[in-house]
Amino acid sequence: MTVMPQGASGSPARGGQGGTGSLYDVLELILDRGLVIDAFVRVSLVGIEILKIDVRVVVASVDTYLRFAEACNRLDLESGRKAPTQLPEMMDKMVEGGSKGKTKGALSGAMEAVTQSLSGREDEDDDEGDEEEQEAPRRRKPARRTARRERE
Amino acid sequence: MAVYVYAVTTREHPCRVEGMTGVGSEGAAVRVLSTEALRAVVSDIEGEIRPKRRDVAAHQAVQDRLIEDGTPLPLRFGYTAPDDDAVLRVLDEKEDFYRGALERVADCAEYHVKASRAEDLLLREILDDLPEARRLNEEIRQGSEDPRLPVELGRMVAGEVEQRRANAAEALIGSLAPLGREYVVHPVGGDDFLALSLLVRQDDEDALKALREHAGDRGDGVEVRLTGPLPPYSFMS
Repeated sequence: MTVMPQGASGSPARGGQGGTGSLYDVLELILDRGLVIDAFVRVSLVGIEILKIDVRVVVASVDTYLRFAEACNRLDLESGRKAPTQLPEMMDKMVEGGSKGKTKGALSGAMEAVTQSLSGREDEDDDEGDEEEQEAPRRRKPARRTARRERE
Repeated sequence: MAVYVYAVTTREHPCRVEGMTGVGSEGAAVRVLSTEALRAVVSDIEGEIRPKRRDVAAHQAVQDRLIEDGTPLPLRFGYTAPDDDAVLRVLDEKEDFYRGALERVADCAEYHVKASRAEDLLLREILDDLPEARRLNEEIRQGSEDPRLPVELGRMVAGEVEQRRANAAEALIGSLAPLGREYVVHPVGGDDFLALSLLVRQDDEDALKALREHAGDRGDGVEVRLTGPLPPYSFMS
């Protein structure tokens, strides 16, 4: 597909090359829209479905409220920092610690995206069978914690 | 042999898929089946399939090739038929339906718009606008142990977040929808407040230009991501 100009401030998780990024942006269309022929059989989508977006529904629950309150409490504290100066240290940690399957805070999630993007993971294709399972976490933008928390 | 099915096109469509490899680990050649009125684009597929990202990409690559020469009806990812005959039978049986669907999307492509706004910016804006939220936030930060305060703050903020996202979505739909012949609003995820598909005539230069002008970071923290031209996935029902 042709990629039209995307925002200059695209997140690291999307990478600089539009290719995979836009495929990610239209994954729901490819998987959930399109013509369905009843007489045909659909292959199992195990491993693919996990790449799809979490539909964001703000649930009116105490948990949701607390998460928003926490995010507000943190706001100004974080705004004073210069995130870039902290990058190297955090990246080292992420590389050392491995990145699979952890529950991540906002920052570590972002670092993982940066780390993987820098190490060229974005360009490698999926030759190992279980690769799909690892994709969902690294493709989440940091702030996607919204979606994660709210599903709980 | 079972076949993976990519798309249905008019009989006149050239379906230039020679040399393309299809979905599945064996990467079979993509080929074309024709009836008197329609064509289907397929490839052989063997055994159990455990689709991966590259299979989704292969599916999409065939659509990209097809749309260069005329708008196809893209199948949803993952559909297989028992054999060629089964595909041809369906094309015959549902010929009128497919012709109608092809007419509906003729000369058009889908453009998909996603718009997001970083949550931090949104929260900051809300705190700036609501003195009561600011006061609660300060009280909590200064160490108040009252467990009702975070719930109260969160409730207030959550409501504002939803409202502001809905308003932003509505405004963007208002300016984008007229650019398309049809449009569909999809569910959103993450920081996105809008996922919108437009069916746009490929020769509508003004609409395409206007769409491109909406893309990018617009300075107010809103980021609009535009993908297209795509086959009309969202306009098949």
